[in-house]
Amino acid sequence: MEVLKENEEEEQREEEELKALKISDKQHDVERKLSVDQACTPNDVPDFDWSSIDTSQLPSSYKTNSPKEKKLLCIADNFLQQYAHLCPDREPLLLHPINECGVEKFVSTTVRPTLLPYTELFHWEGCASFVSDYLTMEPLKSPIAPPSSLYSPTTILKYQRGNCFDFSVLLCSMLIGAGYDAYCVNGYATHNLCTMDETLEVCPLLRKPQKRQVPKEREKSSKYRVKPPPDLQSKFELQQEAKKEAETEAAREKKEREEEEKARVSQQGPPYPESPGATAETQETEKPKRDPLHGLRVHAWVLVLSGKREVPETFFINPFTGNSHSTTDEQFLGIESVWNHRNYWVNMQDCWNGCKDLIFDLGDSIRWEFMLLETDKPHLLFLDVKEEEELFDRDMDNAEKEEDRRFDMPPSWVAPIQISPREFETRTPQGRKVILYKKAKLEKWAPYLNRNGLVQRLTVYADSHYTKVVEVREWFKNREDKLEMREVNKQTQLTTEHFHPGHLLGLKAHIYTSMEPETERTMEFYNEARVDGLQKRVENANEMTEYFVGRDDFLYFRHVEFGKRVKKIHIAGTRTDINPRPIVQIKECFHRNVEKPADEDVAERVFLTTEERINLTYHLNDKYITASKKNFLKGAESDRKGNEIIMTPEMCTTYQAGSSETDKKQLHLYKLLQKLTEEEKQLKHEVWESAAEVLEILKTREDEAADIKLTVSIYDKERNEERRQEYEAMDNLMEDDLLGQEGQDLDYLAPFLIQTGNIEKMSKGQALCIKDNCLTDFKHRLTHKANIIQAHLQKEVEELQKKDQWYQENQNELSTEDEADFLAYCSETMFRIRVLALRLKREKQMAPQKYLALEEKLRKDPRLNMYLSHP
Amino acid sequence: MSQLYNIIEPNVISEEMVQKAVEEQSQDEAQQLAKREGINFKDVTELQLSFRNILQIDNLWQFENLTKLQLDNNIIEKIEALESLVHLLWLDLSFNNIEVIEGLDTLVKLQDLSLYNNRISKIEHMDALQDLQIFSIGKNNLAILEDVIYLRRFKNLRTLNLAGNPLCDNEQYAPFTVAHLPELVYLDFKLVSDTMREAAILKYQYSTEPLKQVEAQALAQLEEKQAKQNELEYHKTAFVEYLNGSFLFESMYGEDAEAAKLAYLPGVDDLLQAYRKEFVSVCENLFNYGLKQHEKREAEVSDFYESLHEALTANQEQGRKIILEFENRNKRTLDEIQNVSSYDIAESKLAEYNEDILQLSETLMTLEMQTADQLEELIKDFERNIAVLVSTFIENVQGMMAQCRDLENRHHEKLLEISINTLEKSIKNELDKDLPDDVRMLFVDETTVVNAVNASHDMHLLKIDSREGDILSNARRWQASVTEKALQNEIDRNRNRVKEIIQYIDHLQEELENTETPEPPE
Repeated sequence: MEVLKENEEEEQREEEELKALKISDKQHDVERKLSVDQACTPNDVPDFDWSSIDTSQLPSSYKTNSPKEKKLLCIADNFLQQYAHLCPDREPLLLHPINECGVEKFVSTTVRPTLLPYTELFHWEGCASFVSDYLTMEPLKSPIAPPSSLYSPTTILKYQRGNCFDFSVLLCSMLIGAGYDAYCVNGYATHNLCTMDETLEVCPLLRKPQKRQVPKEREKSSKYRVKPPPDLQSKFELQQEAKKEAETEAAREKKEREEEEKARVSQQGPPYPESPGATAETQETEKPKRDPLHGLRVHAWVLVLSGKREVPETFFINPFTGNSHSTTDEQFLGIESVWNHRNYWVNMQDCWNGCKDLIFDLGDSIRWEFMLLETDKPHLLFLDVKEEEELFDRDMDNAEKEEDRRFDMPPSWVAPIQISPREFETRTPQGRKVILYKKAKLEKWAPYLNRNGLVQRLTVYADSHYTKVVEVREWFKNREDKLEMREVNKQTQLTTEHFHPGHLLGLKAHIYTSMEPETERTMEFYNEARVDGLQKRVENANEMTEYFVGRDDFLYFRHVEFGKRVKKIHIAGTRTDINPRPIVQIKECFHRNVEKPADEDVAERVFLTTEERINLTYHLNDKYITASKKNFLKGAESDRKGNEIIMTPEMCTTYQAGSSETDKKQLHLYKLLQKLTEEEKQLKHEVWESAAEVLEILKTREDEAADIKLTVSIYDKERNEERRQEYEAMDNLMEDDLLGQEGQDLDYLAPFLIQTGNIEKMSKGQALCIKDNCLTDFKHRLTHKANIIQAHLQKEVEELQKKDQWYQENQNELSTEDEADFLAYCSETMFRIRVLALRLKREKQMAPQKYLALEEKLRKDPRLNMYLSHP
Repeated sequence: MSQLYNIIEPNVISEEMVQKAVEEQSQDEAQQLAKREGINFKDVTELQLSFRNILQIDNLWQFENLTKLQLDNNIIEKIEALESLVHLLWLDLSFNNIEVIEGLDTLVKLQDLSLYNNRISKIEHMDALQDLQIFSIGKNNLAILEDVIYLRRFKNLRTLNLAGNPLCDNEQYAPFTVAHLPELVYLDFKLVSDTMREAAILKYQYSTEPLKQVEAQALAQLEEKQAKQNELEYHKTAFVEYLNGSFLFESMYGEDAEAAKLAYLPGVDDLLQAYRKEFVSVCENLFNYGLKQHEKREAEVSDFYESLHEALTANQEQGRKIILEFENRNKRTLDEIQNVSSYDIAESKLAEYNEDILQLSETLMTLEMQTADQLEELIKDFERNIAVLVSTFIENVQGMMAQCRDLENRHHEKLLEISINTLEKSIKNELDKDLPDDVRMLFVDETTVVNAVNASHDMHLLKIDSREGDILSNARRWQASVTEKALQNEIDRNRNRVKEIIQYIDHLQEELENTETPEPPE
């Protein structure tokens, strides 16, 4: 009784305190209302009337509370009271807001852990980006108070809109379903975060990948280090120069810093925490004014604890953007409470320094006050029972309380979350979404929404008013030409296209300004997919450079210089387009082939076609600094056709590094020259082919661009028209088959017709005979069938009788088991007998009908009809 | 056939024949060229001497780089004079009259050997041909099926032709061969099917199994021996071979007859045991120290060569850069000079280019001088360090050897004491009855005993001294060779480089001289 009294007293006290609070609140209210109006930034989201939604179709769990839930609500109320009593200066907790049907529901039961059958949603990144894409953001009614209602995730999904709490609950449900240790967080964050304003952020697609500094291999300090040659430069002069330079540098830096400082001061109030994206660069953008509600803006997000699913470190997810943040992120200003589908914890730690110092050990009951005592939290298990009791003593009457706390969280009242593949694919509401970043605009579309396969477009601007376009990047999906991304630099007019593997001729990227042939362009290829190992081809008006990878002949570089196209004499009938540019020079470079000695391994060869020269440079031999060389001059080689080609020593100048004697015989040189000449021919052909290939690629690209086709996966039944037709056809066929089996009558006549032999000419007698034969045969069949059934029946009956007899004889010696067996057997046999009797009866009834039906049919049969009908 | 042989006289491979054969191999214009200037036999890689009625192989020693030799369809009776053709990959001796396989021991690279249609009756003398892949010995006189087992040693043998031998008449020929040569892919020009192989292996499981075991054992033994040999080599490079154990101690007592006699004296056995233990432990110390020092020396040497290599690479790159710069600068100069119309300009350009060449020569030489200086210093450092290392090693070895000697001295004193005591006993005739006669003989008088003990002692000291001397001389020799090598390398390198530079400059100048300039004006 005393306890009760105490409780009452406490409640009274609480009420008083609450009143006091209210008064003090009122003082605030005036200020707040003002600021609230300010804070509600005009959002372009059209207003949506939540009161108009149809709740009639919702299941009953949405509309009523089960007894367990009711009890839970009582516990929650009690908890709230105690909390308000213990922490009078803190904001009231969000414990049981009303749902869409106006029923109070505890927040934890709103979380409905669900694993959706999409591979992308097995990871938190996928879930987060899905939620942020799928839902349209609505601001909170009051930016400084948690909402009074919290709708089910299913409703939110249905209408594709919600506030930060709706976002968080949905994301949390999906993450817990996917096995993460995730929690919804009710807390405070910055204005930008709460209003999903990313205009100060650099677009994630534009962020430069952080350069990982590879730690340089530490210089081995060896005692055997060559001393550098004596430095004969004047040290003093150098010093003087360095000094001067340093001075100018310092002056410049100082100036810069001052400017920066000035800009900084003008931009922002000092205490406003600087978001990492917004640095001094954004000088000209209008910097947000100091937020009057800083630290009061309520926000909800998701906390993922480390441990499960190999999450190495605890982190936050902002559900609006789907980005992860470190727990020390300055944009998160404080945490009121967290919950998942099992429990509810109130943060008892001080948040004066944002969330930086918070410790997320929810088992620590001093830092985190739990609502329901949980048994499966490992942290708590380590606590001594006594300690635990002490803990409760601190609160109040423990016996009763403990019972309350051992209360299990009731299952969620929310129906399972379902997302159809169509919805999943379409993602964004109406399949389109626009996000504004700092000097950049990102647009997203659902696949197949655009005819050209466009799914994402990023426009980069030079200014923050989104007027001057600098660069446009477009991403495509499901294109038949495998185009993945196109990047157009509006300033240089340089277009870069990236392709997925699988494009014709292994095209990987194409950088160009115009599609005209023989202009500046670079084509990159998937060299693994090509026989010639071509990786890159750079072209301009009179040069072509090709890079190769992984060739057997160690070639890695080929450079071709073209001359001016000769004004050719037009011979009637020749086509103009086959007029390759004359080749002036071909230069090829090779990697070292370790199997050959360096003196015989060609490093570089240059064919000067106009001068009829071939220059070979060999690889460097070990420890040598000059490379061997051979220069051929083919001038005298073949004056006229038919003339003998004789090798003369003048035709070749050789420099052999390291040996003076030219021990190579002329024969060798001659053979080499012959080989080279042959190869030159081959090479010219190859160059010509390369040029032709470029033309072909350009043409293909033009064709593809003119007629964009999208590929559809063969598993996509909805889009793949052909496939669907095929499928349906197959379905129909199957149905036909089934019908056919049932409907198709057996041709009774066939065997008898065959017996008579000649079908074409039959007398009436014969026909009658056939008919009679057929009918008698059918009659026999029917009687035979009846007989079989009869025989079965008799056999069963006899057996039963035998068994019964045996039972009667041995009744006394039987065990209960045997008896049970016997009874079972009896009932089974009886059943069979019944069935057989039934079939026999039906057979008897049906036989005359069947007989008549067959007779009728035979009469109508065209084969007999023509003989029978005529007199 | 026999008539044909009668008409054509048997030949010996002569120089002319070879010459002709070589010349015939190249075609048309090349043949002319070849005839004109002759062919160096060293450059020939393939040679065909078929259908020439050759009886005896000869005059092939010049073809050092030959990889393919065809001697088929002759009347050769003996495989000979092929010793110098070590690069041979393919040897065709089919259709000859060979009776014995021989003379192939130097052809270790041989992959394809054809002895088809000869008179061979035994597969033998082929142990050196470890790379053999294709072996054709069809149509011979092989009669014993078990000879096939000989071919098991060729791990790379994939194609075998035995058809036409008497042994093929045996029904079991094919399965036997396949079972014993399971790696075979083609037998008698036919693919060995998997099913056939499995069946054959199953059939001869019991006869191949022991073979396999024996082979595996032999292999294991060989490996073990190799490993031991390697270890010993390693110890030898550390100059402490046979010091990890009682080897030295045993050798001290091995030839010591006196010590063996003295061991019979009472108390000597225990003394000997203790002495042995201590001595061996000192040896072990020495051994471990030696290995450690060896590692240190190795590290020092590799450190030096690493740095040297680094310096040389840097130097090479630098030189390369200079030359490339020069070449790029003067790529077109010669052409320009040739094409320039006026004599004066050409002349001035020529002079300019000449100047540039000289300049290049200067730069390269300076660079080389500088490098040579640097390296000289480096080598001096290295020499010093090695000397220090070796001298500390020697000092320590000497210290440990002194320990050994101390032990020996102490042992000697004790032994002497015991001997004297025994002598006294002997004089008193209290000597043990069990002692052998020759030991008794020692105790005739004091001098004999003392002499015996001293002789033993001296012998031991001698052994220790000689071991010590070995270590020291080896270490010194190593020091000398290492430094000598470093120095010699550097000298060679320097000479080569200077030679290279001079050659290059000569080449450039020659090129310049050969350039046709416009005629000077009249």
